[in-house]
Amino acid sequence: MTPQTVFRRLQETGQAGLGFALILLCALWLTLAGSAAYANSHVRAPDNAVNSFDDPDADGPPNTQGSESRSAFWSALKQGDIATTSSSTADGKAMQTLGEQWRLFRTQYILKYSGWVLVGVVGLLMLYYLVRGPMKIKAGRSGKTIHRFSTVHRVAHWFIASVFLFLGLSGFIIMLGRPVLTPIIGREANAILTSAALQGHNLFGPLFIFGLIWMFVKFVRGNFFQMVDFKWIFKLGGLLGGHVSSKKFNFGEKAWFWLLMIVGSVMSITGLIMLFPWLFEDLRFLQASVILHGLGAVTLLAVAFGHIYIGSVGMEGSLDSMLKGEVDENWAREHHDLWYEEVTGKPASEPATKGETP
Amino acid sequence: MSFLEFVEGPLFYFSGTVFVLAGLWRIIGLIRLGRRKDISEPKGSAAAGFIRGNFRHFFPRRVFTKWMWMHILGGYAFHIGLLVVLLFAAPHVAFLSDRILAGFSWPALPRWGFIIAAEFAFAGLIVLWVRRFSNPVMRLISDWDDHIGSWLTFIVMLTGMFALQESHDILRAIHMLMVDIWLLYFPFSRLMHAFTFFLSRGHTGATYGRKGMIP
Repeated sequence: MTPQTVFRRLQETGQAGLGFALILLCALWLTLAGSAAYANSHVRAPDNAVNSFDDPDADGPPNTQGSESRSAFWSALKQGDIATTSSSTADGKAMQTLGEQWRLFRTQYILKYSGWVLVGVVGLLMLYYLVRGPMKIKAGRSGKTIHRFSTVHRVAHWFIASVFLFLGLSGFIIMLGRPVLTPIIGREANAILTSAALQGHNLFGPLFIFGLIWMFVKFVRGNFFQMVDFKWIFKLGGLLGGHVSSKKFNFGEKAWFWLLMIVGSVMSITGLIMLFPWLFEDLRFLQASVILHGLGAVTLLAVAFGHIYIGSVGMEGSLDSMLKGEVDENWAREHHDLWYEEVTGKPASEPATKGETP
Repeated sequence: MSFLEFVEGPLFYFSGTVFVLAGLWRIIGLIRLGRRKDISEPKGSAAAGFIRGNFRHFFPRRVFTKWMWMHILGGYAFHIGLLVVLLFAAPHVAFLSDRILAGFSWPALPRWGFIIAAEFAFAGLIVLWVRRFSNPVMRLISDWDDHIGSWLTFIVMLTGMFALQESHDILRAIHMLMVDIWLLYFPFSRLMHAFTFFLSRGHTGATYGRKGMIP
């Protein structure tokens, strides 16, 4: 399937995926367009903001010089002991020396490389497309279709896909806005954009958890490991040529499903910890959550790019399963032969029929 | 006059006026259409059928629930969630009280309550929307008006969500701009079903009620 065909099909079907992307772009564009002009004169602190330095009588930060030696205290802290801080900014929370290591790991690894990982994956997919082109249905379309996914399956899929894309985009702004966007749009505009993205991210997070559970319930059947998956793994899913048999879901699809479930669960839990930080007194939970959330996001996004590629321009006929719920018989015969035999009762090896190409 | 003052002031009042007048024009137009004179002897009350038809359709018939449960749950989650957010979110209560109701106010929901309502509203709208393009029949009977209505509502909600921190006027201004556009589009689109649904349900109910049937 060529990109033109995919685009035409999206247009013909009134595909709201494009619409969704347009909506997000419009909303972000509006935010960006107005941000720069209004940033300086229209930023105000929230009503509940407190600035204790304005009030000379208010309690300020404790005297850090102190009147007594705290070397034993700090020494114990460096050995791993945890103490309760008296800092005005982290009242009641434990403090430890991992903070600096956490900060360095975050800035020197996650912030530095995560963007490049995603750019690299997109580049590889583009290169693969340019070299190999789309995976065609070898026998052509038969014109006859087989039912693959119900409406509920498809709605569950698109629900989590929409939420996932929004979370990915807003998460990207939150995580990489400062190093990537600030040099382009300026600090003030980035601050506004980040404020908007953070609110959106926090509100859409619970929807992702709901979508994840829905996906699990609807898709877990057929996604358990089977012996036939060994062959798929050894042949790298046919990447190097040759036919690989599979049932309703091949090993690649199963791996993506379980990756989404496991990493998605980690993302959900760490997201909730960040959303409700006061639930954990130990700051290490929060630090670990930030790291795991960032790593998980990059992992899921990188694999999702591959999933989107193979589900759209990368493979002819695959988009039909999630748009119409039906797939071409020849597509099923070539990519999911054991499932084809199960559903139709016909051997996948019999000569393929060729019908009109839509 | 700042951009925020413009979209919360003159543009909002203009959009609101168009919304009310055009909405009334459509509702009065529908009522004036009337119905054909029925000379047959009534076997039941049309008025009772009108009321019964309206309430009856809040509950799906059991035979259809197998196919419609997602539509029903999504529909209720979205509409109730949106109504709660619209009427009980603290910023909305303050705005309506200040700009329209001359100081008249009512208790707002706590922040957590309004956030939960917003979650339901978003979940419902996304379900309804993706169902519209992933169900072949829905895709076939949907036109641009359906999509624009869904998208506009979604953008209004999305920009409102962006402004939740209330730390930047521009985010509030963008939300208000989208509200103004939504108000202008509303009366000329199928979004009017928010006010006309009781007429269509009532019409069906009255027709059947007069024939002595339960709608």
